[in-house]
Amino acid sequence: MNSHWLLFLRLIARPLASEAARTSLTIFAVALGVAVVIAIRLAGQAAAGSFHSSIESLTGEADLLITSPGGLDERVLGNLVQLPYSFHFSPRIEDFAWVNGKSEALPFIGLDLIGDHPQGEFGANLARGAESMMPADAIWVGKALGFHPGDHVRLLINDAFHTFAIAGILQAGSGQLTEQKVIVADIGLAQKVTGKSGKLDSIAVRTPAGESDAHWRNLLETRLPVSAAVEPQGARTQENRKMLAAFRLNLRVLSYVALIVCAFLIYNAIAVSVVRRRNEIGVIRALGGTRLLILGGFLVEALLFAIAGSAAGLVIGRLMAIAAVKVIGSTVRSLYVSSQPAPIHLTFAAGIIAAGLGIGISLLAALAPAFAASRVAPVDAMARGREEYTVALRSRRVFLWALLLFAVAAILCKLPPVGGRPVFAYFAVVVLITAMAMATPGVITFFAAIANRLVERVLRVEGLLALRALRQSIGRTSVLTAALATAVAMTASVGIMVGSFRETVSVWVNNQLQADFYLRPLGIPGPDRHPTMDPSIADRIERLSGVAGVDRFRAYRITYNGLPATLAGGESSRIEDSTTTKFLPGENRQEILSKLPTGDYAVVSEPFANKHNIHTGSSLRIPLNGAIRRFEVLGIYYDYASEAGSVVLDRRTLLKYLPDPAVSNLAVYLRQGTNPGAVRRDIDQIIGGRAVMVSSNATLRRGALQVFDRTFRITYALEAVAVIVAVMGIAGALLALVIDRRREFAVLRFLGAAQPQVRRIILCEAGLLGLLANGIGLVLGAVLALILIFVVNKQSFGWTIQFHWPVALLLAVLSGIYATTTLAGLFPAGVATRMDPIEAIHEE
Amino acid sequence: MALLEVRDVTKVHHSGSAPVVALQDVSLDVDGGDFVALVGKSGCGKSTLLHLCGAMDFPSSGEVALDGQVTTKLNDAGLTRLRRDNVGFVFQSFQLLHTLTAAENVELPLLLARKPGARKIALERLRWVEMKDYADRYPHQLSGGQQQRIAIARALAGNPRLLLADEPTGNLDTSTGEAVLALLARTAHEFGVAVLMATHSAESAAFVDRTLRMRDGRMESAGVLS
Repeated sequence: MNSHWLLFLRLIARPLASEAARTSLTIFAVALGVAVVIAIRLAGQAAAGSFHSSIESLTGEADLLITSPGGLDERVLGNLVQLPYSFHFSPRIEDFAWVNGKSEALPFIGLDLIGDHPQGEFGANLARGAESMMPADAIWVGKALGFHPGDHVRLLINDAFHTFAIAGILQAGSGQLTEQKVIVADIGLAQKVTGKSGKLDSIAVRTPAGESDAHWRNLLETRLPVSAAVEPQGARTQENRKMLAAFRLNLRVLSYVALIVCAFLIYNAIAVSVVRRRNEIGVIRALGGTRLLILGGFLVEALLFAIAGSAAGLVIGRLMAIAAVKVIGSTVRSLYVSSQPAPIHLTFAAGIIAAGLGIGISLLAALAPAFAASRVAPVDAMARGREEYTVALRSRRVFLWALLLFAVAAILCKLPPVGGRPVFAYFAVVVLITAMAMATPGVITFFAAIANRLVERVLRVEGLLALRALRQSIGRTSVLTAALATAVAMTASVGIMVGSFRETVSVWVNNQLQADFYLRPLGIPGPDRHPTMDPSIADRIERLSGVAGVDRFRAYRITYNGLPATLAGGESSRIEDSTTTKFLPGENRQEILSKLPTGDYAVVSEPFANKHNIHTGSSLRIPLNGAIRRFEVLGIYYDYASEAGSVVLDRRTLLKYLPDPAVSNLAVYLRQGTNPGAVRRDIDQIIGGRAVMVSSNATLRRGALQVFDRTFRITYALEAVAVIVAVMGIAGALLALVIDRRREFAVLRFLGAAQPQVRRIILCEAGLLGLLANGIGLVLGAVLALILIFVVNKQSFGWTIQFHWPVALLLAVLSGIYATTTLAGLFPAGVATRMDPIEAIHEE
Repeated sequence: MALLEVRDVTKVHHSGSAPVVALQDVSLDVDGGDFVALVGKSGCGKSTLLHLCGAMDFPSSGEVALDGQVTTKLNDAGLTRLRRDNVGFVFQSFQLLHTLTAAENVELPLLLARKPGARKIALERLRWVEMKDYADRYPHQLSGGQQQRIAIARALAGNPRLLLADEPTGNLDTSTGEAVLALLARTAHEFGVAVLMATHSAESAAFVDRTLRMRDGRMESAGVLS
């Protein structure tokens, strides 16, 4: 047998196998780290429906898509078909419907099924249905919706329920998986039920062969109103891709935290091996083993952990993705785009990337201890304790380097984003974690020096022994503390960031929502869908005696500079003290709101201003109703409703260009002293049979925070995994520590220590590790939170968040981590107490 | 009644496939102030006998009584208490804790037993073994002989009635070994402590009161006081 293979089996594989529990813990920790990366990658892709815009469902083989904010006049189609080229035009209505008014918003697409057969597999399917005799209320539905031909279904569209007959089931072709949940109707019916008679949402165009799309695009633009846009098919998908980029990047970065924790643990596992096998290293070197052999041996050990961990991680990650996709999907839909999750595909590339990361990071982490092992002189290999002593001496110098790194991180935070991404801020986070890891030995030494007496008094001799052991094996203790501190820091920073964000949103919601009642269509609105209500509802409510005023708000999805946004019109300036919308510092709210209705003026939300580099006084060019309109920006207001951002005009200005009086939602203000119950009853009567939801102020506020909490569930889940990885690492490392210190525990038993006392020593060590990691992690976490709030968030999303300490949350999380870490000592403690002291003494 | 009474003790180990008889029908008495050497080759059962005497293990048959308390009648907590209150151990490789200073090592059994005034007693014991000046040194800063002195001071910290020494000179050169043997003799005679020492060195004969020879798990000479 090959001698290297024999050496590998005897010196690497055999010791790993003999400590199955510790080996398994390390492998499982790597597996979890890799799994999180895989899960977030797969779930992110699936949840965003591969960025597919639901509204682009069934555009089939079209090359171009013609759209216009607020829709196109259908007469435009008449002009286009007269062009002397063999274009194929498919007029479309694009809206959303809710089955029985519940659950998710489904794309409701109107196509010309009679005059023009839609293209592609879907089209052929539809055509077959359309050719048969079909009732006037016929619709076709995607297979995933679970209906059968002949069924009748009640759909909520805008503020009304309609009953339709299912004429056929659409079979998705390959590459159209996201369209399994779609509803199709003939365009005439769709125009009628969506209230878009005489209008089209878009026209899909198949261009003739022979010329480039750009050529046909230019030609079409000459025949279209200036406000119409001719975009390549899939442009909105591209917009979504761009818009979701920051969200996905931040999620991915968070998923790497568990891997960073893994790196510490691999470093520790290999360092433990090195310390333990110093004698072996000495003997092997004395017998002629080369430095390279030693280096290679320890790297192979890390590789074993990495390969086994990555393989298990792929499987676990695939399973975790199923849960993650639900949470991420709900965030994507409530903050970004109505996109149905695509199936989860564990692609070869994703597997290679995650496994590569797992293996790469493991080898990198193992490099330092493996290299150190290869440099040990055979004579020194026998000197127990010398290495730890050297680490302690070095810790002061390293501490100074750590301080320098903190300064570097501060400078990195001041640098601007790269391509809209907070690249330098991420670097700063990595540098800070490195600095923290370097400062940890110094902190532990300092802690051990000042806490000696206190620990002895409180935890007695068991605590003292634990503290001394931690201090003595400072190299190992530092790595473990740094690993757990990283997880704690990330958890604390995300906790502080989310807590601050929540508090900011809570204050904003309270300021923003001043009306007594809010009305909106029953279907859940989203950033890219704005169902409407009959405008007469507002008029009738306004005439009620107890009502002081009604703010009619109408929103449209538009594209601005290649990114989706919301264009809206409101009447808040008409109603005195209707809202306390906060503008950026230095802007006069009263002045802005009184000027807004007097001309082509707009206010924009903070994320919109940041994304498009808009300032007060900037001019916005928005294509509306046949022309490019210019709006002067009067102010920038705080807004946390959508990341895409909004442009808000006065309602009269909006109606001037988009004369559709339907409203997206209404805010009803009551006169002082009015009985809200009585008005509510009147409103319910006015609504009659319409599917309109009336919410009280308190309900809406509560709902807003519920959406917020749901949005950030995934971030907590990611941090929880990092903490689990770290705690598992602690358990594994303590186990190693116990095995290494068999002799010491045996001596204690000889000296009269009872089993519970030995157990207490291990638990004290675990507890002290937890305490140190929590302390260091909390301090670092607060600093990281500042970076997340004021740099990463600002550069990625453009929101202003007020710093806030979520004390209760932090206390709960940190106590949980502390308790778990201490409990992680139970297993090693059990091992220690079960050891036979006589056997342990004799081994020496 | 002797302080330590070992009666017809047999110890069988079952760790491998076949049981190994480590001790067979061994009997022994040791009184306070006695310095007794157990002499024999490696593997003859000396250490096993010490562990039984020190309440670290139970005999397979027979009885070990320390100060009248029969070890087989005690549970683990009882054994720990008996050991803590009555027995001190000295090992061949010193077995000092590297994380603790010399004084802290000596204090350790007192702290484990929750006894007050640990530091004062520890310094007193260090003075007695002539190591008071090294109280704040760590084990790796001391020579082998110095470490063994600290180990003896530690063994005496809890005022044991029985001190068990397993090859205490095995890791020391001849002159240092002799100094340690002299210290153990002084311990027995000045403190009135029963000292039972396992050794394979012939030089110990000059320092001990009695030498008992062991061979293949049996006592060759009479261990019971007449």
